[in-house]
Amino acid sequence: MNLSPAEQERYSRQLGAGVLSEEAQLNLRRSTALVTRVGGMGGPAALMLTMAGVGRVIIAHGGDLISPDLNRQVLGSEAVIDRPRAPHFADYLRSMNRFVEVDYVDHEPSDSEALELACKSNIVLSCPPTFEERLRLNRAATKAGVPLIDAAQWGMTGTMMVVRAGLTACLQCVYPQPPPFEEFFPVVGAISSAIGSLAALEAIKILSGTGNPLFGKMLTYDGFQGRVTTMELTRTEACPCCGGL
Amino acid sequence: MKIRVVTMGRHYHETEGLPEFLELQEAASLDDAIDRLGELLSPGASFPGSCLIAVSGKHVGTIASHSAVSLGDGDELMLLAPVAGG
Ligand SMILES: [Zn+2]
Repeated sequence: MNLSPAEQERYSRQLGAGVLSEEAQLNLRRSTALVTRVGGMGGPAALMLTMAGVGRVIIAHGGDLISPDLNRQVLGSEAVIDRPRAPHFADYLRSMNRFVEVDYVDHEPSDSEALELACKSNIVLSCPPTFEERLRLNRAATKAGVPLIDAAQWGMTGTMMVVRAGLTACLQCVYPQPPPFEEFFPVVGAISSAIGSLAALEAIKILSGTGNPLFGKMLTYDGFQGRVTTMELTRTEACPCCGGL
Repeated sequence: MKIRVVTMGRHYHETEGLPEFLELQEAASLDDAIDRLGELLSPGASFPGSCLIAVSGKHVGTIASHSAVSLGDGDELMLLAPVAGG
């Protein structure tokens, strides 16, 4: 099936040489992306996936929006303060692209829910605040056999890694023990959006079959010092998550 | 020999006093470099065990568990305290 004239018009600025072919755009339309959660990084990531034309975007995020979220959570607004994030964020995403189906889960998925969601998806974007949740999504993506993109931030810095379990290091290879959790971490929204958008770009490349994804690498963006680096990640043979693959 | 030191990640401001370049004896090991850097941190401070280590762009493990690596002149040692956020 081809793109409709309305879809061709919508995506005209991203179709062509050096960006997406029509077949690549169709690949996006056939794809489902799971983004959890959709705060500072997951919000911009989900927005960019929706605007790019990923056919189905599933977001997961619990709780109500609070005022301090609005330095970085681009799917929120003053009108959503004290209201549940997930349904309002989903409405906003739907308002941005009529060609995309947006579903939401109004809580953080459990182990079994994460696996079920990953099995319905072609890619998982991991953007939660705790390593426990990140490692859960990593296990789910590994079992489901789909790529995972992990986006993280602190202050004016961020990291992003792209995993294809069995072929590259997974998150648990890199973090054998969950590092400490810091609930009230400092962050400037500009780094959240930058890292979230880069995660979306990797997802768009992978789903559409365009360019060279950063599989097996961690991109580090040190906005404080003005430094960007790439780290080649090493698999752990005895990794409890991907060791047997 | 001289290596370059790059630190980033969680609480990055606490390592601002570390030198950008570190002089080490020829054929010094990664552990030698980590020990030297540890001595240069503020009293009572230390690198977390979960801190990732990369030598010239190649991830070699964490502070708590890493492979034995011999450093060479011009290597870049990156220490990255894991970040999560949301
Ligand atoms: Zn692994």
